[in-house]
Amino acid sequence: MTPDVFKRSLDEIAQSVAAGETTASALLDVVEREQARWEGGEIPLHAFLSFGGDNARAAAQTVDASTPTPKARGPKPLLGVPVAIKDNLCTLDYPTTCGSRILEGYVSPYSATAVERLEAAGAVLVGHTNMDEFGMGSSCEASAYGPTRNPWDLARVPGGSSGGSAAAVAARLVPLALGSDTGGSVRQPAALCGVAGLKPTYGRVSRYGLVAFASSLDQIGPLAGSVGDVALALEIIAGQDPLDATSSAVPSGDYAASARQGGGLDGVRAGVPRQLAVDRLEPDVRGDWERSLARLEELGVRLVEVDVPALEAATAVYYVLANSEASANLARFDGVRYGRRSRDASTLTELYHRSRSEGFGAEVKRRILLGTFALSSGYHEAYYDRAAAVARALGRELAAALEGTDVLLSPASPSAAFRLGERSDPLTMYLSDVYTVPANLAGLPAVAVPSGVSAEGLPLSLQLVGRAFDEARLLRVAAAFEAAADFRRPMLPVAPTQAPPEAPV
Amino acid sequence: MSVERADVERIAELARLRLGDAELDRFTVQLNGILAHMDQLAELDAEAAEAESQAAPEAGAPLRADTVGPDALRRPPSEIATDWKHGFFVVPRLAAQDRLAEGGDASGLEGADDDA
Repeated sequence: MTPDVFKRSLDEIAQSVAAGETTASALLDVVEREQARWEGGEIPLHAFLSFGGDNARAAAQTVDASTPTPKARGPKPLLGVPVAIKDNLCTLDYPTTCGSRILEGYVSPYSATAVERLEAAGAVLVGHTNMDEFGMGSSCEASAYGPTRNPWDLARVPGGSSGGSAAAVAARLVPLALGSDTGGSVRQPAALCGVAGLKPTYGRVSRYGLVAFASSLDQIGPLAGSVGDVALALEIIAGQDPLDATSSAVPSGDYAASARQGGGLDGVRAGVPRQLAVDRLEPDVRGDWERSLARLEELGVRLVEVDVPALEAATAVYYVLANSEASANLARFDGVRYGRRSRDASTLTELYHRSRSEGFGAEVKRRILLGTFALSSGYHEAYYDRAAAVARALGRELAAALEGTDVLLSPASPSAAFRLGERSDPLTMYLSDVYTVPANLAGLPAVAVPSGVSAEGLPLSLQLVGRAFDEARLLRVAAAFEAAADFRRPMLPVAPTQAPPEAPV
Repeated sequence: MSVERADVERIAELARLRLGDAELDRFTVQLNGILAHMDQLAELDAEAAEAESQAAPEAGAPLRADTVGPDALRRPPSEIATDWKHGFFVVPRLAAQDRLAEGGDASGLEGADDDA
């Protein structure tokens, strides 16, 4: 079996397992062969931090041991499908490091609800994917275990922080991966890697077992080769969870059916915020954006200009709120109960200082400092309280814009995939998130859909933002756009010819 | 708003981070660049500051019963702990305890205000 099998939809792969045409073990063999190919090249892809092993093989054998029948398919819509999990999603008996040295050696004593739901649907977990440390980054360069590369061009980043998940799907190592999205960390790497990626409405998917970065912004989201597959994955992981008090009681939907609905989009109104500043986009991104709008109009969509003034402050708001919450959430990593403990500490205070300073990377330290400052006495009114107020204003403005429209549109990223080491200034990196953070701040669902390629052959994507808990409509529109865009993801070469770039410090 | 090196040292102490000289210098420069971007918040319309909950209140997010039960770990804490004895996570002594053992005064010492 060739990796062509992962050009098929999740549904087709599961059906072939149920029909006995293939087995979960055979699919795992394909994944392992492809992983060896991508790691054996001159520049390893490095999508995974922990891969395969006894856990994956045992899971595949468990699936195969149950008699595969079309009936077995019914309650297990992902029967035998190999999936990858971002390394901040706790998985029983798997190393779960969040891309950080401070959790080096930590093996999770439980599984996240989203992970358990995928397993209950028959999926076979093949490993944990690389990520920017604790979700803090937009390039996967901030992983303590080395960067993941972009399969389209190994000298470039896959985006972040779910860079490993995006790269694994783009390279056809797996047909489905889970990531997490706090300010764009599913959508931006999906865009840079030319795959579909969704951030659900806040509360749509349980955060139980997701190592917290910013608890009011984090959501787990799927990355896959198509909007239809993203929709199916969402259907499986969505729904209230008593273990997550922020998970919503709003009933989840038949998202896969919504995505399959097809047809034209006559009568659909799409809002285009006046504040997108598209004149500042790279020419290729702007050209693709304008073509995407034209395609939507051909499908019957009516474009409506909307006014969202608070959008201009969204990144500033995000970096205050997210880092403030992160500084609190990461206080638990103190070397006491789990993870890395400094060997040099002779007092408890020294234990905290040394373990954290030795265990955290520069980006994490920087964000903890920012967040601690924004919450500190004398400054929290000017920073945290004000950012929270502006976030509420942004939420109101987006909700108002969505009253008169069905979806809002923007490019998913202001640029195509950039080169490793190109964005050494932290602020420049933060501005990569300009189009994605508003959906997190407002708790709205948003999806990145590949729309074209740049002059250099790098993927470009459109972002669609929907109303809260209206993923059905969002995914229907996204799937219709996807069909019209006809983005072709090639089978990528094994031995890329680019010279090895300088590794970033 | 800008910060001095001494401010970054103070913030690092609050965050229980120990930074070297080079780190302090680097973070001071970087934080100032980022804070300059965040300072646009101060220029925004004060009307935005009215209190309102961010997310629309969920209809029917049910409360769970107020009962105590076993935690949801599938492996015991002892398997993930760095150091574990008799049901406790073991940590280094407080510096204050050492000083007391030597017959000294615990107050004002490093770690004296730490909870064990």
